[in-house]
Amino acid sequence: MVRPLELVIIGGGTAGWMCAAACAAKLVPAGVRVRLVESEEIGTVGVGEATLPQMKDFNDFIGLDEVEFMAATQASFKLGIEFVNWGREGHRYIHPFGTYGRPIGEADFFSYWVRARQAGFATRLDDYCFPIVTAWQNRFMLPNGDPDDVRNAFTYAYHLDAFLYARYLRRWAEARGIDRVEGRIVDVERDGERGAVSAVKLVSGERVAGDFFVDCSGFRSLLLGSQLGVELEDWSHWLPCDSAQAVPCARSEDFTPYTRSTRRKAGWQWRIPLQHRTGNGYVYSSAHISDDEAAATLLANLDGEALAEPRVLRFRAGKRRLAWSHNCIGMGLAGGFLEPLESTSIYLVQMAIMHLLTLLPSSEGIDPALPAEFNRVMDVEYDRIRDFLILHYLANDADAPLWEHVTAMDVPDTLAGKIDRFRHRGHVQAYRDGLFGPPSWQAVFVGQGIEPQAADRLADALPADLLRQRLDALAATIARGAASAPSHAEFVARYCPAPPL
Amino acid sequence: MSAPVERVVVYGGGVAAPMAALAIARAFGRLGTQVSWIDTGEAPSPHAALVGLPDLTSFHRLLGIGDAALVEGASATLNLGQQFAGWSDGEGAFLHAYGDAGTPFAMLPFVQHWTRARQAGLRVALEDFCLAAAAAKEGRVGEPCDPATRQAVKHGWHLDASGYAALLRAACKGAGVRILAGAGVQPFANDGRLHRLELADGQTVTADLFVDADGALIGCVDPVGSVEEVPPCDRLIRASATPLDPLPLYSRVAAHAAGWATFTPLGERLACEIAYDSGHLSDAEARVLLAQIAGRPLETGEAEALPVIRRGHAWVANCVAIGSAAGNAPLLDGAELLLLQLAVAQLVLLWPIDRADMPEADIYNEELSGSRARAGDFAAQHFRLNARQGEPFWDRARAEQVSPELASKIDLFAGRGMFAHGNHEAHNEDSWALCMAGHGVVPRSFDPQAMLVDDQTLMVEFQRQLRAIAADVRGMETHAQALARIRSGGR
Repeated sequence: MVRPLELVIIGGGTAGWMCAAACAAKLVPAGVRVRLVESEEIGTVGVGEATLPQMKDFNDFIGLDEVEFMAATQASFKLGIEFVNWGREGHRYIHPFGTYGRPIGEADFFSYWVRARQAGFATRLDDYCFPIVTAWQNRFMLPNGDPDDVRNAFTYAYHLDAFLYARYLRRWAEARGIDRVEGRIVDVERDGERGAVSAVKLVSGERVAGDFFVDCSGFRSLLLGSQLGVELEDWSHWLPCDSAQAVPCARSEDFTPYTRSTRRKAGWQWRIPLQHRTGNGYVYSSAHISDDEAAATLLANLDGEALAEPRVLRFRAGKRRLAWSHNCIGMGLAGGFLEPLESTSIYLVQMAIMHLLTLLPSSEGIDPALPAEFNRVMDVEYDRIRDFLILHYLANDADAPLWEHVTAMDVPDTLAGKIDRFRHRGHVQAYRDGLFGPPSWQAVFVGQGIEPQAADRLADALPADLLRQRLDALAATIARGAASAPSHAEFVARYCPAPPL
Repeated sequence: MSAPVERVVVYGGGVAAPMAALAIARAFGRLGTQVSWIDTGEAPSPHAALVGLPDLTSFHRLLGIGDAALVEGASATLNLGQQFAGWSDGEGAFLHAYGDAGTPFAMLPFVQHWTRARQAGLRVALEDFCLAAAAAKEGRVGEPCDPATRQAVKHGWHLDASGYAALLRAACKGAGVRILAGAGVQPFANDGRLHRLELADGQTVTADLFVDADGALIGCVDPVGSVEEVPPCDRLIRASATPLDPLPLYSRVAAHAAGWATFTPLGERLACEIAYDSGHLSDAEARVLLAQIAGRPLETGEAEALPVIRRGHAWVANCVAIGSAAGNAPLLDGAELLLLQLAVAQLVLLWPIDRADMPEADIYNEELSGSRARAGDFAAQHFRLNARQGEPFWDRARAEQVSPELASKIDLFAGRGMFAHGNHEAHNEDSWALCMAGHGVVPRSFDPQAMLVDDQTLMVEFQRQLRAIAADVRGMETHAQALARIRSGGR
């Protein structure tokens, strides 16, 4: 009989407790012993207040109740991300969690739109997308389950308080057999000088040994980075923002079912509406603005009373060269950092957890095929998100030094080809799974002002008057559908009201 | 403003040229695109058969090719898989059926549960949990009657190559393709682009886009773009025998000491071929061996060399090479027709916007070389995983270097029963699992979440699946019944 695996999670922020909760649901009942080491002395960053629709899959997978989870985290719904002043000043668009249009012929909808746009009878792309039209009216409904209805052609994510999420998961995981060990880590023991991690030592002298470690220690990357020496692959030349200031403000009337990102002189500002407050932050390049000026800009652009002093974060864009080294996986900030422009932080944690669950080694040793696959799939995730983020920076008014720099910089080859192909014929490569699908690329390309010169020739087969009729009918159906949804505020108050804190 | 492609010339013969001409004419003829096919008259070998995978059936709908016409004109039979005999388990055989590797349950792929049960002593093979494999072995085909089975039985086709080519040719005429006879054209290029073709009778043909199923045109615009290699298995003999009765629903690939022999059941004959290494087997010996393995009298064709031609870029400037002109396909797993179908479908999807400038070529070449590499990996696994010890041909085949992608796939399946999914996969996860398990790979470990199911529940579920498969197969029609129904126009 093989001895049960001893798994140790280092750090109890969002990543640590998400991992612990998944272990509680899927590994503890399968005979794995799981402990989480954290210290109350060390604060957490609490990143990822805005999420992607995959988070619902994660919560469903481990068995959280949506209403209870939303109430516990002061959560609201999210149909997409609004980009304001991106591309050019005064412009706005939404990257939706849904598809554009519906099948109207043998080419894809987007090709018909391009053709109609060039012929002058299509309105903007956003008008053919149910979640966008609904979002801009501050309305929300759950997908209605009818595959033929535009009111089903979307998914949704959440805005949530990440500290409350971690706290909620902690209660949930501790009730299901995860042992929490309190204490600051002062030393790491390894098998020999260069071998696997065997234990961590706490300030109390306690020693927590394990077969396998999950490093959720945040930017410090205590095991993967500091101890095992896995370096950060630095992407700051493409993504120069290296600082953020975050500040909550009082909830306003404008209870949007979407995250807002507003382009600013030296970066961009986020706005995330929660039930009890609105989260705000300014992500910026410290080379292009002082902290004080960034704070002043942030505070001058709140739509409610500031509820705290701005909190400063420093980071560098990149990922650890190996997500899994020796007997240790780095998750969350310990594994890499990408600015929250597309709300990918929690998604990356979730992917790392899902792959960990299926690729977990036994206590008898690590088959090299397991880390090889883990590192391969995590690299794919990081690289795709990186390119998608860079795309946002490329096509903008060069109206400040940062924007002069990013609109003129060399981009990864993988991205340069994508832009040329999109310009030429609206081509977007579809992946089997993972981020981001064709509608996301279409949204951001077109939103940033990069439009195809021509459409797929297959779209030419439909007579123009028929195409026009179908597009008009579709826009009307979407507008009617959106008008039938209740307001986001009403929906949340009825569905998942959170107690005042 | 970009100018659309107005005139297309397809050059070549066989199956590739008419398939491309037909697909293009059906997709773009109504937009005014003129399609001419210059038929070199090169016909498929009279003994040749093609193995069409299930995706071919949906492609046929785009081509407007009906099932009854295939059965009538191409001696077609239904194809549920390919059997590999003598590769990895003495003279034993496994069936790579185009179906599911068991029904997933408890939120995990079935293979994970199967691995766990194998480690606990289960003797049942993975393919026994595959409905399509069970149906094929019983000579039955159809949809499962029990929805709890949650497995599909999708069929492809076994086709007589000459009959199929003739059928595509007839469909070309119906779709408005202008067909000209003309072997040995002289291509003329300007600035790296094909400009015009001169036919033997002095006629000149120009076009915006040239599709080359022959090799002469792509050779003109990209003369140094191909490499020829001599593969370990360098000779091939094709033959025919009287049809099998009852007709099997799968072809059989039987390994021999210096290569393998393939038997493809057609309505009017059994198509046979033997591929071999001439260093170990003479043409005369191969002929005798093929008859021996077939176990029946053969009408045999001439021995042919099997060179491997690889071409870096199939689409160069305004010339797209398809079929063998783009490089040879592996001889196993229906790769020839699969790659041809992908090449033609991708050309329609990436139909150039502008006849003067075709950056689509880069996307196309990336897609097709990806598909070609992954289809190549799928074929290569059979050689890598063969267990014929002590035979020089097979010992060498096992040691042959494989792509990093294939190496990861084998390592991950052997390590954890999982599938390292990359871009451009030509075969799905279930096909890989059925083949690797068929070759004797039992994963060393499984997803720890499999332990969330207790032993008793697992056994009950396994028995349920096996019973459901048996019941479903009993309810299906026989191959002969299915062919008769198709011939009479029934769906």
